[in-house]
Amino acid sequence: MTEHAKTAPSNHTSLTQRLRSFDLRRHTYLLSVVFFLILCGINIALQPSFLQPGVMVSNLSTFLPLILVSIGQTYVILASDIDLSVGSIVSLVNVATVSIIEGMGGTGGAIALGLTTGLGLGIAAGLFNGLCVALLRFQPIVTTFATGIIFAGLALWILPQAGKQVPATVWQTYGGSILGVQTVIWVLTLAVIFALVLARTRFHHALLATGGQMQSAFQTGLHVLRVRITAYALSGLFSALAALCLVGETASGDPLLGTGYTLSSISAVVLGGTALSGGIGGFIGSVFGAMILGLIDNVIFFARLPFEYQGLVQGLIVLLALAGGVFVSRR
Amino acid sequence: MTILRARNIRKRFGGVVALEQGDLALGAGEVHVLIGSNGCGKSTLCKIIGGSVAPDGGSLELSSEPVRFRTPHAAAAAGIGVFYQELSLIPQLTVAENIFLGREPRTAYGLVDRKRLRSDAETAIRPFGAVVGQGFGPDVLVSDLSADQRQIVEILKVLSENSRIVIFDEATASLDSKQVAVFFDLIRSLKAEDHAIIFISHRMDEVFAIGDRVTVMRNGRTVVSVAIAETTQDEIVAHMVGGAYIAAADRKEAPAPLTGTAVLAARNLVGRKLADVSFSLQRGEILGLGGLHGQGQSDLLRSLFGAESLAGGSVFLDGKPLLLRKPSDAIANGIAYISGDRSRYGVLPIRSIFENLVIGLVSKQRPVGLNYGALVKRIAPVAERLKLKFPSFAAPVSDLSGGNQQKVVIGRWLAVAPAVLLLDDPTKGIDLQTKHDLYVILRELCAEGVSIILYSSEDKELLGNADRILVFNGGRIVRELEGERMGEFELYQAAYAAS
Amino acid sequence: MAQTAQFNGSVTTLRGLATRPLTLALAAIAAMLIVGELLSPGFAAPSQIISQLTIAALLGIVAAGQNLVILGGREGIDLSVGGMISLGALVAGNVMQAENAAIPLALAVTLAVTFTLGLANGFGVTIMRIPPLVMTLGMYGVIQGALVVLTRGIPSGRAAPLLNDFVTNPVLLGIPGILFVWVMIGIGMTVFLRRTAFGLKIFAIGTNEEAAALAGISVRRTRVILFGLSGMFAGLTGFLVLGYTGNVFVGVGDQYILPSIIAVVIGGTSLAGGTGGYIGTMAGAVVLVLLQSILTTLNIDPSGRQIVFGATLLGLMLLYGRQRKLRM
Repeated sequence: MTEHAKTAPSNHTSLTQRLRSFDLRRHTYLLSVVFFLILCGINIALQPSFLQPGVMVSNLSTFLPLILVSIGQTYVILASDIDLSVGSIVSLVNVATVSIIEGMGGTGGAIALGLTTGLGLGIAAGLFNGLCVALLRFQPIVTTFATGIIFAGLALWILPQAGKQVPATVWQTYGGSILGVQTVIWVLTLAVIFALVLARTRFHHALLATGGQMQSAFQTGLHVLRVRITAYALSGLFSALAALCLVGETASGDPLLGTGYTLSSISAVVLGGTALSGGIGGFIGSVFGAMILGLIDNVIFFARLPFEYQGLVQGLIVLLALAGGVFVSRR
Repeated sequence: MTILRARNIRKRFGGVVALEQGDLALGAGEVHVLIGSNGCGKSTLCKIIGGSVAPDGGSLELSSEPVRFRTPHAAAAAGIGVFYQELSLIPQLTVAENIFLGREPRTAYGLVDRKRLRSDAETAIRPFGAVVGQGFGPDVLVSDLSADQRQIVEILKVLSENSRIVIFDEATASLDSKQVAVFFDLIRSLKAEDHAIIFISHRMDEVFAIGDRVTVMRNGRTVVSVAIAETTQDEIVAHMVGGAYIAAADRKEAPAPLTGTAVLAARNLVGRKLADVSFSLQRGEILGLGGLHGQGQSDLLRSLFGAESLAGGSVFLDGKPLLLRKPSDAIANGIAYISGDRSRYGVLPIRSIFENLVIGLVSKQRPVGLNYGALVKRIAPVAERLKLKFPSFAAPVSDLSGGNQQKVVIGRWLAVAPAVLLLDDPTKGIDLQTKHDLYVILRELCAEGVSIILYSSEDKELLGNADRILVFNGGRIVRELEGERMGEFELYQAAYAAS
Repeated sequence: MAQTAQFNGSVTTLRGLATRPLTLALAAIAAMLIVGELLSPGFAAPSQIISQLTIAALLGIVAAGQNLVILGGREGIDLSVGGMISLGALVAGNVMQAENAAIPLALAVTLAVTFTLGLANGFGVTIMRIPPLVMTLGMYGVIQGALVVLTRGIPSGRAAPLLNDFVTNPVLLGIPGILFVWVMIGIGMTVFLRRTAFGLKIFAIGTNEEAAALAGISVRRTRVILFGLSGMFAGLTGFLVLGYTGNVFVGVGDQYILPSIIAVVIGGTSLAGGTGGYIGTMAGAVVLVLLQSILTTLNIDPSGRQIVFGATLLGLMLLYGRQRKLRM
């Protein structure tokens, strides 16, 4: 058996082989990076101050909530499911956190409790989705639409109208810096590190397998149920994180805050090269996808298009980007 | 020493009995062959042992302890590994990721060790290194692999589990002889380490080359279990077909009434799996396509139906060139295609028997009203002719047994009254009585002037029905058998020659 | 003869098959009417029922198109109906400009525009192989943008008085015209699905696309037409919404997007495609509207209403959309 060892490729050939076997399907995010860079270029041309640190940080803090929601949505879509309740989770966590912080007097303890409850609530909402879809075998689109209505209802119940305040320390910390680095950069960095580490776990392999061929994954002995539920829980967690960022950003609660995030997050994930059919893609693309959506808004704003054309141009660019991405990656 | 014992295992899917009585005793260090014709319940038995199908009844014992596997994971944990006939690979993942899926090597931090994953995969692949062909490696996506390469990945995946009991369900179906030789070496070393192996194959030579013991299955029952050394090929075949075997070989009395003019002629067809295929089909003739499975026979039939594209060559119908871009081109010219893979290419599963029967008739109809009465008049005689057993035309087709579902698919095309019938292994997994009914109908159709091309994975079916046989190998016609030269031995010889 | 009899006998079985979700939906409707009447006398009064049905008709007509796309399988779904409805209402209102004489022209233009946009969805889905969810979501964004361009932010166009009367006021036997339209669509859809070759083709491609293609059906063309029809039904809904509200506002269609899908599912059409029908969807639309109405009548605050509504939908999922087990 060991005679074959001699014919095994040397390191050199394996490197060239690896280069030759470089495959867009394994790096689905590349297209979104290219598109992102093009948009950056256009943005710089239209808005010369784009590269100033202050502007970049402010852009980042605008994009951050959608980036986070999209990262979470990625896991669900990789498992070939979908989460239409993320927007409602954002709203729910936002109002819950703000209410707890204000209700307990805005002390340090109240803030800590508010933030942890918010994260816990997000995870719980995700687990609930996961149980309905994976364990009870409900259809994902209808189920998460229904749970989304419930979560939105809970948000309205907690806080019927936008309002309430969080102490200045919250938004000052969020808008300021920790250890000399902007807080939003910390949040993004930590989220990305978390996702990078997750991408190297057995769980992530099982996630791709589940989304790729659920029956095969099951027959291989993977815990398909657990994987799908975990994906929903992650989606809930990241939505909650986005909600906390919005608390820092707006300093108040709004039960309708999350409405736009559901469909945008799906667009961002698809723009990032992740297949809706599951099994192909990853969170990096979604990060770029979310930034692309943000940059399109920026570019349209700075292109000084007549106000009424902004929506149409945005819609067309997004449609073309979605279509183009799908088209190219299918080649 | 018996390590695994299955007793009286039963399973039905909907109205179809897949397994009526499965009994098996597997010894350590033994290669136990399971053999039987398609649809006899081998795969179902294996899936129940592997935990991916829930039995309706019966018992399993592992080392004399009763066990019940609720998931494949539980079976794997108990030391049972399964090579699935339809494969359990994830096309979107690489070879290395597939081999070690769920058991990826990890670093000290608990993360997947990609370097070791890759090198472990390279080690696992090594035995097959010389025979695996181009474009194979740990980093290649499984979706890019050919059929034989995928089977090798599934083999490596099962072997890497290092299970006490390994089940190979048709693991050699797409492998060539060199690949099989490597695979058998691996099985022998497993055997030497006292693993127990269940081996399913349709190739008789393999059964005798690797098996220690054989259990024969027929119609969902295990009928006999004997040591390989104490039996012969003929004896096994006799058990497989049982007493109920109806000789398909009531050969046609006279050769087909050849009119001399070819109904269908193909010249130099080239396609994805076809290399320079030429032949002609006479009126009222059954032209058989033979050879090992997957040598281009199905591709030829699908190309003639316009379901697969041709890269070159020309097709003539009644002497006139025919352009086949899509199935409706073929249908419009009186060509029909019936696949034995009915769940994929045949039935509309949740729809009624009526809809399944008329869909071929109405597919080109403009969106005007359907005349139900007229349609029923067209399909009722067909249903009668096929001896179709059904509660009512409105019952869902999935209520029928596999054989009757296939009759519905056949009826769909008989209703269209085609001039040329392309049959792609049409009796796969259906019972003997249905087969026999079908053979009779084929003969009647020929007498009516219908011309038929029949591909079958069963040599007996081919020899019993075809007037001539074209033997395929690697997408080419390597031999034409006719008259006296048409026998089992000649067919076997021609199929294996040059492979 | 015997065969024909056998066939006729079986039609009842066929109906028997289709009725399970339908019976459930009808039972739910009856239960809600009783509960509603008990909670708030007058809830089940004829005039109340008619006004509920009018709202349900609007939802039910969008759901007709949604129903077709979903029946066609391959993850068929149309999220662009919201935009199509708004656009339909806008186009109709602007062509009509409150003139009775312009109603037929307005209807023709509206249907033509939305049918064409629906075909564009279909081309994206079939030729470019973009998943329906993504394609129709993108189309929704484009239409929303186009609406702003067309209205410059200020809604314009008004319904003709005749249309207004037709939709909201009784025409015959105290029943408004829109309900006659809906019933006609119901009959039309059922005949279309059950008694035409095209209907058969829809079920065929929805249940087994490969087998359907081998039976000679042009799968792509069929699917493109389905998306076109979905656009057209949404356009028709927009036209009627204009009649219902009298004028246009930009987001008027948005509230129909997800309910139109839910109505189809409650009506017993599987999101996997290939099985279901429109009568169920009509019942589904009524269930949704009555449920909303009961919750309003109950005098719970909006949040509680939402929670109960979502929970009821989840409960309904227990009865319907369960997916296949992995272990057989």
